[in-house]
Amino acid sequence: MGRPQKVSLAEAISLINDGDSLTFSGFTIWRRPMAAIMELIRQGKKNLHLIEVNGGTHDDMLIGAGCVKIWESCWSGHELFGKIAGNLARKLEAGEIICEDYSHVQMLYRLVAGAQGIPFMPTYSAMGCDILNPEYDMLGKAGLRDGSNPKIPAKKYEMYKENFTGSEVALIPAAQPDWCIAHVQLVGTEGTVRVLGQKYADDEAMKAADKLIVIAEQIVPEEFIRREPEHNLLPPHLVDYVVELPWAGHPTGCYGVYEADGPFIKDFFAKTRTQEGFDAWAQEWIFGVKDHEEYLAKLGVSRLEILRASAALGYSQKVKRGSR
Amino acid sequence: MASNEYAKVGEFKPIDLLAVSAARQVTDGEVVFAGTGLPMLAIMLAQKTTAPNAVCIYEAGSVDGRPIDLPVSVGDARCHYQASIASGLWDVFGQLGRGQVDMAFLGGAEIDQYGSVNTTAMGGYSPIGKRLTGSGGNADINALAKRTVFIMVQEKRRWVERCSYITSPGWRIPKWPSGEFVHKREVYNKAFRGGPYAVISNMGVFKFDDDGVIYLETVHPGFTPEQVQDNCMFKLNISKVIGETKPPTYNDLDLLYNVVDKEGIFLP
Repeated sequence: MGRPQKVSLAEAISLINDGDSLTFSGFTIWRRPMAAIMELIRQGKKNLHLIEVNGGTHDDMLIGAGCVKIWESCWSGHELFGKIAGNLARKLEAGEIICEDYSHVQMLYRLVAGAQGIPFMPTYSAMGCDILNPEYDMLGKAGLRDGSNPKIPAKKYEMYKENFTGSEVALIPAAQPDWCIAHVQLVGTEGTVRVLGQKYADDEAMKAADKLIVIAEQIVPEEFIRREPEHNLLPPHLVDYVVELPWAGHPTGCYGVYEADGPFIKDFFAKTRTQEGFDAWAQEWIFGVKDHEEYLAKLGVSRLEILRASAALGYSQKVKRGSR
Repeated sequence: MASNEYAKVGEFKPIDLLAVSAARQVTDGEVVFAGTGLPMLAIMLAQKTTAPNAVCIYEAGSVDGRPIDLPVSVGDARCHYQASIASGLWDVFGQLGRGQVDMAFLGGAEIDQYGSVNTTAMGGYSPIGKRLTGSGGNADINALAKRTVFIMVQEKRRWVERCSYITSPGWRIPKWPSGEFVHKREVYNKAFRGGPYAVISNMGVFKFDDDGVIYLETVHPGFTPEQVQDNCMFKLNISKVIGETKPPTYNDLDLLYNVVDKEGIFLP
């Protein structure tokens, strides 16, 4: 595909099938494609396989809604706004979801290898941990490393004594998820992608996936975004679909555009203590609104204005964050 | 009020002493990896007192930021205000892998006498007891930083002989695939460059001996070594205690409450 197609969010999400593997842009509670997550839930996707460098509010929402069968990652929670991922913890403890744990570097390297088109990456990171305990190869234990699913490698990892200097390293298998759904600040009219602020593991996630959906806060003239190509992350030919949707990262934060909505995430986390609590929350915020427009209307202009980032700082100083 | 005199018992909270004791572990000029929460208070306080030339790296991808507002996460835009570089995980974990990181602040839910830490699951992994966040960068950073400093709550059930799940590698760890427990040096070979150096709890400051076993170095004012022992599942070496932990100074408290966490996010 030479150039990306501009589509609506509902159209983009309708292309994702039950059982597909997904990865995302962002980091914990920052620059997550939240409107897409809510649309995946509205469309009732099932048995999704998440392969991500870390989790956060986005994947705990998908997991709470029963959309996820396998979660391969290294961390999930809501930072200061919720100390664990409530839905993930509950469903794991009930045996309703399969979790494969890696470390941050190991997950990053899986996507690096996927993005580079090589079968694995070597790393010294996280050796001597229970992550590498053969008893805790959860996809293996579930019989899913038999080659029938091309997105699941034959082994979780391999210890290898390399022949160059004779040291032992862990080889971590590549990951090439079916989809990456990314939320970014700017996309050009032809599809050039610009990410402002920290890039997290976006470059690797976007390039590792087979198909990329980019959701943009703003679509800008291609001529504008090409004036400074050194600031761009991806050319159009690596992007499959573009959706323009302002505030589509809420309640996570989007550098230079808006702050993470701490009280919203805190409330979400509190509701995830029980399935009933989450279900009622989802009824109100996901199923109770038709789409992202209605969601924003429900949040209200004044709430969003408080979150709007200062042009000087990249974040908002209007948010009441502590006791003083 | 802001002076370098030590505050008296009753003039500071346990969390203040945790932050200050952690800050004092930073040597000026070091490159420091810090995680979300108390580690941020510690590095920011250190940079404003004893270690003005320390460089802070946050694992989401910011290097040497000069935040004027306390971040709520390592991915926060506040981390990279006035940073030299805003990049990503590939860059900063690459610096860690290359041996550029002198020390790191980490936390955990469970710690063992060899400085291994569990942030993944309490009460067993398979079948799982209680799921926690998972490793994040903890395992990577404890693996490859020259020194790590843990900030921990002192509770008997959390201070154990051996972690029920080792998320993050201390001094004696399993060598996979056999799982035999050996010194970290034998697992890491040429990549070995250090490991857990100190643990700061709400009751004391701990270090590790040459065999990689934890011992109590100082007790916080108001506690005895025996009380610390009572809050460990294993037999704690209290024979090397050199005295009480130095309290925060009035200047430390002023900086913590009026500059570092002026909004009262961690320190209400």
